[in-house]
Amino acid sequence: MERLITELTEKRVLLTASFAVRLALVAYGDYQDRTMVVKYTDIDYHVFTDAARFITEGQSPYNRSTYRYTPLLAWLLTPNIYLSVVFGKILFIVCDVLSGLLIYRILRLRGLSSETARRVCSLWLLNPLPMGVSSRGNAESILSALVLGTLLCLEARHLMWAAVLYGLSVHMKIYPVTYALPIALSLRTPETRSEKVKKGGSWFMGFMGSFLNRQLFLFASVAGGVFCLLTALFYYMYGWEFLHETYLYHLTRRDIRHNFSPYFYMLYLTTDSRWSQWLGLAAFLPQLVLLVVASWAFHSDLAFCCFLHTAIFVSFNKVCTSQYFLWYLCLLPLVIPHLSMSLKQGVGLLLLWFAGQGVWLVPAYFLEFEGYNTFLLMWLAGLLFLIINSSILIQIVVHYKPTQTPQRLKVE
Amino acid sequence: MYFVLFTVFACLSTCHCFIQKDVKKDESHCGLLKQWLESSLVSVELTKTGFHREVVTTVELGPGVLSGVRVVLVQRWPRGVYVDPYQLASLSEQSNWQILIDSAIDLEVPAHKTEGFVTYVYPALDGPTPRLKVTIPVHGRYHEPSYDGETFASVELEHPELLLRTEKCSQLNSVAPHTVVDAPCTHDNSSTCPWVKLQHQERGPAGVQFPVGDGSLVTPVCGGTLLVTMLCCAALSKHMWEHRII
Repeated sequence: MERLITELTEKRVLLTASFAVRLALVAYGDYQDRTMVVKYTDIDYHVFTDAARFITEGQSPYNRSTYRYTPLLAWLLTPNIYLSVVFGKILFIVCDVLSGLLIYRILRLRGLSSETARRVCSLWLLNPLPMGVSSRGNAESILSALVLGTLLCLEARHLMWAAVLYGLSVHMKIYPVTYALPIALSLRTPETRSEKVKKGGSWFMGFMGSFLNRQLFLFASVAGGVFCLLTALFYYMYGWEFLHETYLYHLTRRDIRHNFSPYFYMLYLTTDSRWSQWLGLAAFLPQLVLLVVASWAFHSDLAFCCFLHTAIFVSFNKVCTSQYFLWYLCLLPLVIPHLSMSLKQGVGLLLLWFAGQGVWLVPAYFLEFEGYNTFLLMWLAGLLFLIINSSILIQIVVHYKPTQTPQRLKVE
Repeated sequence: MYFVLFTVFACLSTCHCFIQKDVKKDESHCGLLKQWLESSLVSVELTKTGFHREVVTTVELGPGVLSGVRVVLVQRWPRGVYVDPYQLASLSEQSNWQILIDSAIDLEVPAHKTEGFVTYVYPALDGPTPRLKVTIPVHGRYHEPSYDGETFASVELEHPELLLRTEKCSQLNSVAPHTVVDAPCTHDNSSTCPWVKLQHQERGPAGVQFPVGDGSLVTPVCGGTLLVTMLCCAALSKHMWEHRII
């Protein structure tokens, strides 16, 4: 059994096998789309393809309603029109496998042995969830590859490349902007012993001064430059609509339709009331507080900090759909080797997470497809899911041991 | 000179004969159209439950097809539902009808922030006694929360109108009591044509119900949500601070 696992997780075999399975899923998806009523391909993939078609006709991709992404994605997918409609899916599964490879490289840089690193990254490469998501045509794998690439470059101290990849990832989706704080905290000049005993105003001056160093300045200017360049280019090409659909919509989004967020029912009931602005702000505060605390507490271990940031951001967000889970699941393999919990505990937490989703999905199904009024049940299920997510994060934080020597997961 | 006058009179009288013949032919076509219209039947059935429904419209056209007759089903939809233009585009590729929607549709906006719309369905006629069946998937919009204890919002779907036209009937004032209306000629909306509308007994609208939130619970929901989120935030912050990496 041990030998089988070792052989299966041999790097080349692993990467080839995971790519082959994803390719098979893409082929199966094509078959299902052609023959069955329920389609395999996600509706988002059709949105991307339609937007790419508008670009090939010389028009704006925003002519396609519900296209709320960067034009870069539609440009990347123009071979969908020129070559084959399956090009985008192939690109996504390649980025997916690339993410697995990046996880392996990061784990090796953090001091794990080759065998352990391979076993851990097989948790991503042989995981049915990212397989399904990429083969269905969701573009999340591009972003996970960019975020993991940023972390790898930061770990290897290639700051220029890290900054370029970071600027690109913030351009594609807004949520990586939350990583700016821990990255800034980790790149600033470390405090010297004498500075640690300073108090009050002089400590504050020293603290602010520590941000003014060459590395941070370089990172900020390159990342900011890449982001501003891309924004300016697409604003020039597509105008206000680009800014609105790619960024402003997501920032001011008040989707009142049912989703995993604990705030969904509250926002639905108060959409037109005069309190809705204040409630929106009240909903933003826990997210902000937690992100600041997480940055301050864990900035020296960037991978863990980014994982916590994303998990907190998604769990406490005003809108939460299952696509968002992939944003932090791609960082989970970086955290797992340092968790001092038993396999039983780990699997228990995983099952608890799935159970939380299941408890929400049942009333949601009955509302959407059977027409029962299950709003109250969904509200309670949303709150329960938040409590479950918070408990899981607390368990992860409590059991995290950031030592250089890797802790093997205790197998009972 | 008399000979010239006689020839002119003869030509004019033959022309008049031909015109009379055309008019008679036209009138007979219009009569057929009227007969045909009166023997047509439109029935509507709603299938599926929840927020995703299907409106199945069956049209039984009278016996004896006039060649060159075109049919359109005009449906006025209320603000409480919407159709997905992209879903309809892929559906009409697989079926024998084409659809035209009169305005852009926002797929996400709630019912009270939008207006109704009109669809024109152009089925392809084939067969001697055609029986058309058009299935349109509709989706419910979210409605305003109710404050009077009602757990469902009702949306009424009107009966579709059947319009007919043929090139061979141009004397459209002879189709009374049916009215003549203007509608797009084809699904590409390039021109408008006069159509004859079937004047039948107006059937009652079909009712659809969608669940709505309970507005009277707004205070406990807001209070409960904010309490749980603040507590989770406090617990998580405490543990993160206690286990911070220095």
